[in-house]
Formats: sequence, structure tokens, C-alpha cells
Amino acid sequence: MLRFSSFAVFMFATSAVFAQFPADPANPNETLAEKASFMPYGEPIKLEQAKKAADAALADATKRGWPMCIAVVAPSGDLVYFVKMDDCQYASIAIAQHKAKAAATFRRATVNFERLLGRGPFFSYLTTLDGVIASRGGNPIVVNGKIIGAIGVSGGSGAQDDVVSLTGVGAVK
Amino acid sequence: MKTRPMLTLDDCRKISAAAEAEAKKNNWIVAIAILDDGGHLLHLIRMDGASPFNARTAIAKGKTAAETRRSTLVWEERIKAGRNSMLGMPKITPVQGGLPIVAEGVCVGGIGASGVQSHEDEQIVAAGIKALGL
Repeated sequence: MLRFSSFAVFMFATSAVFAQFPADPANPNETLAEKASFMPYGEPIKLEQAKKAADAALADATKRGWPMCIAVVAPSGDLVYFVKMDDCQYASIAIAQHKAKAAATFRRATVNFERLLGRGPFFSYLTTLDGVIASRGGNPIVVNGKIIGAIGVSGGSGAQDDVVSLTGVGAVK
Repeated sequence: MKTRPMLTLDDCRKISAAAEAEAKKNNWIVAIAILDDGGHLLHLIRMDGASPFNARTAIAKGKTAAETRRSTLVWEERIKAGRNSMLGMPKITPVQGGLPIVAEGVCVGGIGASGVQSHEDEQIVAAGIKALGL
């Protein structure tokens, strides 16, 4: 008798955990896309290309008077080149690297995460994905339709970071 | 209040370029990292063919040299001499190839290299520091 009742309590207690919540028709994540949409990875960025991207970004930031950190990574997100400008805040050392890594490993600009999160709670799951940073300034470096790496910039406002980051992207053809 | 020298971006570029030239001269493929006296990354290059591990190790060696204000070789030799308890020091990488950067008698940062033999790594970072003309 005792055994039965404890079993019943167990079933009752766990059923709520296993219950599936019904889909919310308003949730855009419920839509199933049949086609995969992605850009393939290419040959990892060379140091000379990484320097070119970072130097262009650095020149842009210097011209505008924005102290920043600039990180360039390979497709795997591993650092190839890094530079910290004088007077840049310490936090940006890690943030610039994080943005570059996220842009490379998720194969998209980090502004996408920022914008989607801004749309509301259906996208809050993004913050649970490993390695996401929902702040603009990280952009893939694309050559001949393939991602060879990414650049991440931090130190200014998001908009400032992104414009400098995109200058870096534009320097590698 | 005290004022003391600190590494600028220009210094870092000078150091890194000289260290990279030393590596290239010897056909060595390495990563080279420069950090400030607090162990914060200021500049890094990973030459083509150097591994992500080399980049992490270069940072770790440079950080150890910057924060302890000693060559990483000093730590390596102390441990080799039997002082095994030194391995328990917080976050040090006691492997040759990291040197402190000393200006006007003050440690302003550290530089680390990884990719070839440890004494060769040190040769690279020493060439980098030399370019500062201190």
C-alpha cells in the first residue's frame, strides 16, 4: 500500500515535467524550413589577410578617434590576429574576441542575434546557445562566397563597433 | 602619486614585427603575444600553420612573464631543480619562451612565443624586446 502510494506520488510529480507545452501559433520558430541556408567555410584566413582586415579597421577607428580592440579569427573561432588600441577599455579585449568567434562559428554577423533578441521572448532561447554574443561588431570575412574567418570589434557603441568591423571585412577580397 | 611607463600600440607593433621577422628568418612558425603588466592581451599574431594551441600558449607564457615579472625560464628551472610545489602557483605557465618587458626599471608587460623549441621561442621574444631599444 505504501509502495503503491509513493509510486502514484512519483508519477504525479513527474508528469508535469514530461508534459509537452502546445505550440504557440504566433511563435515564428515553429515554422519548418525545408531548405538549409548557409554559407560554406573556405580555406582558413592567412595572417597577411588578417592583418589587412585589422589594419583597415584600426585605421578607420583611429581616424574617427574611437579606442577599440580588434580580433581576427579563423573559421573555428581561434585567434589569428589581435590588437588593442591605446585607451581602449579592458572589457573589450575579451568582447572583441568573443564577437569574432561567434561570427565565425555561427557563420553570421552578431547583429543578427542582437536584432532577434530585440524582437521579443520567442528569441530569448538564443542566449542559451553556446558561445552566442548578442551585440553587433562581429562579422564573417567572406572571400569567393566562402567564410575564411571573422573579425570582432569592441570598444565603442555597438553601431561604432560594427561600422569599424565592416571596414575590416571590406579590406579582404 | 607615481607615474610609470606603459606599452603603447606603436610599441607593440614594433615588438611584434621584430619578433615575427626573427621567426621568419629562421623559418619558424609560431604565435607571438604581447600583454600589459596586468596580463591583459595587447597584441597577438598567429603565423600561418601555427596551431590554436600555440596562440593560447604564447598568451599564457607572456602572461606569466608579465605578472610574475620574470622570464618563464626562471619558473621552469625552479621546478626542474625540485621545487615541485611551484606548479601550484596560480595560473602560471612555467615553460621557457616568455619574457618580461622592462622599461626604466619597471615591468611594463610580457611577451610570449610558442611553436618551436622553447629556447627558440625565447630567442624570438628577445628579438622583439630588443626592437624597443630600451
